[in-house]
Amino acid sequence: MLNLIYHFQTSQNQDEEFKPASYHVVYFFDDQGFIDRSMLQELSKSVPNADHQALTFLNLDDLKDFALRVSQELNAPDVQLISVQDYNIGLDGAKDLASFQSIFQKYGEKIINEAAQKKKGLFGKLFS
Amino acid sequence: MSYLEDSSKNGDPVRPGEQWFFYWKTSAALWESRILQFQPHEVVFIPLYWGFHAESATEWDFGRIQPERDILRLTQLLTHHGRKFCWILPLTPAPFLPNGGVPVPAARVMSVNTEGVHLAVLDQEQKLNKMYSFFEPKVFQSFASFVKAFGSFLASSKIKASVWGAQFSYYQDGKNISFMEDRSLAFEQGFSRYLKKNNPNGNDLTETKREAQLKETFTEEVLSLFKTTAEAGLAPFWGGVQKIVALGAGPKETIERSFDGGKSQLEYTKDLFNHYVNHQWITSALLTQKEKKDSLERILGEHFGSREIAERYNYESYGAELTEEFRPFGVISLFGGRVSEQFQRLGLTAFLDKHFRWLYQRHEELEFTPEWIDVHHDKIKFFHGRDLDRTKFGQILKLFLMGQRILLDLEGLHPDLDKRLQIFLLENNLKMQSVNYLTTTNIVELGEGRFITFEGEKLLSEPQKEKFWQHIFRYLNLVQPELQMDDDVFSLWRIRGTTPHELSYLDVRRVNFYNPTSYKKIISIKTHKHFAFMRMIDPIKAQAKSTPDGVDVELLPNGKIALDFGHYEEA
Repeated sequence: MLNLIYHFQTSQNQDEEFKPASYHVVYFFDDQGFIDRSMLQELSKSVPNADHQALTFLNLDDLKDFALRVSQELNAPDVQLISVQDYNIGLDGAKDLASFQSIFQKYGEKIINEAAQKKKGLFGKLFS
Repeated sequence: MSYLEDSSKNGDPVRPGEQWFFYWKTSAALWESRILQFQPHEVVFIPLYWGFHAESATEWDFGRIQPERDILRLTQLLTHHGRKFCWILPLTPAPFLPNGGVPVPAARVMSVNTEGVHLAVLDQEQKLNKMYSFFEPKVFQSFASFVKAFGSFLASSKIKASVWGAQFSYYQDGKNISFMEDRSLAFEQGFSRYLKKNNPNGNDLTETKREAQLKETFTEEVLSLFKTTAEAGLAPFWGGVQKIVALGAGPKETIERSFDGGKSQLEYTKDLFNHYVNHQWITSALLTQKEKKDSLERILGEHFGSREIAERYNYESYGAELTEEFRPFGVISLFGGRVSEQFQRLGLTAFLDKHFRWLYQRHEELEFTPEWIDVHHDKIKFFHGRDLDRTKFGQILKLFLMGQRILLDLEGLHPDLDKRLQIFLLENNLKMQSVNYLTTTNIVELGEGRFITFEGEKLLSEPQKEKFWQHIFRYLNLVQPELQMDDDVFSLWRIRGTTPHELSYLDVRRVNFYNPTSYKKIISIKTHKHFAFMRMIDPIKAQAKSTPDGVDVELLPNGKIALDFGHYEEA
């Protein structure tokens, strides 16, 4: 299962420069570990108008397109997006490993990778 | 009883490692039997779960109400059984304690890292400990009240054990991050008050860098406030401050540890060796039995065990002369240079990682005590001019006069210190040899002592800086077996003096190899006519055979082996 934790940053003036609101990738991981950052930077190039180095996107749709692109590359059936705010709410309520693991199911927004779903054989569909 | 035998059983939540005793995790009726599980020679470290003793925000119970808080009885049991012990008082949020140690009435705002994520840590029992902000004013009030009450309790109970302050951090993305680093609302409000107090006419923080610097200074000041409060309140018992890196405590590690596979042995081993090189003390108290196994368990027992603990907390010192007991062995010490990353920028750490991997250590400060000077006499010491003040510079010159080898990067050295160096050379009638190769290098010799200065600034942009270090180390003539092995094989050296049967050797060196991967690894050791292979010790999933050049080792997954070499002068 792929998971992406992102941070929404409101527009601000930084170093006398206007910075528009943005969605920044904080952690991107599956149950094997964190996805290699250089690979993420490369895949983010499929989304125009993003800061590929910093993994920052201008709107949520762009972030979702990027997440889907990563799931396609890794042939993952879906990817769950969760904002830092929701992750924190989940953390506040969690008490142990089991409740921590359920944060992503509980608060995440799932995006289906149709291509991987189609590739599933009969057994895959039966047991999914 | 060997010091290398670790008496703590992995997976025991009451004795989670490093001789710590979590008194609040077991019934007071079981304290005695649990204490007896420590080896008699081991110092028992008792972390104070200060929130556990809170009856209210300012009322503290040391056993009057609850038997599990009766630390007087606990100390009586330890004394009755002749055990040495000391307290560990957290000066930051402590990842192994619920709420980070903060009493419930003061635990109001969770700590937040720079990415906006709340700090929460999985402990050894897979419970999630949430860290609460130390910038919340109620936390400091409560802490100060606890320190006062605890100090009075120690004085009235006539308990003489020392109290160590502990500042906890986690390791993430190549950096040590203090649990004090916080971007919660409590921090931001405190920072705002701090700015107003220091700049009543307003502060222009349009520059991100300036804001970051001020936030760092504010954090340091609050950290210092907790330290000085504890130090003042517990003065007769104060042992000092230990900075402790908690393995598995970072926000990314919490996520990683929640996976079925968890964080790998290889990744933990890499972290552990990084902490070793950076001379950072660790705690493995958060790791589960499943995590603390194989290579990790062996490395912790053999290199972070009771002998090293006794050394770290100044209960014992190895002494100047080599004895028949093995001790950690390294050849180089780097001092300071961390903020500017000068040693990395000079290509020195890359060179050391290639040729003297895990044989060097980085220190924040020069510990100028007679014991330290003696034990580390033979190590080559590197300093960065920018870090030096008058006192430190004087200490460096003294080390040189004592026959030690000093290398100083002159970049950023204050002109007054440069003048002082010239006067020192004149006064002692010392001749300086100059060499111009990639940069200007000056060498002064006095008996065994070497004082080498170089202009690091010129080296920074030099593409062939590795060649400079090759020349320097050829001049320094360090004799060490050469190891040819994968990056994922780990080794640490130890050294001892010779026994009466080994008179032909100068000393005996032991190298421990660990393979935390799931692949077979081959290691080749070239002895270069200075070392004779003596024996192999405790091979686990490993074998070694002599070759004309030295020794070849085969390490299976999770294998380990130690090899002893006699060091001799070439005829």
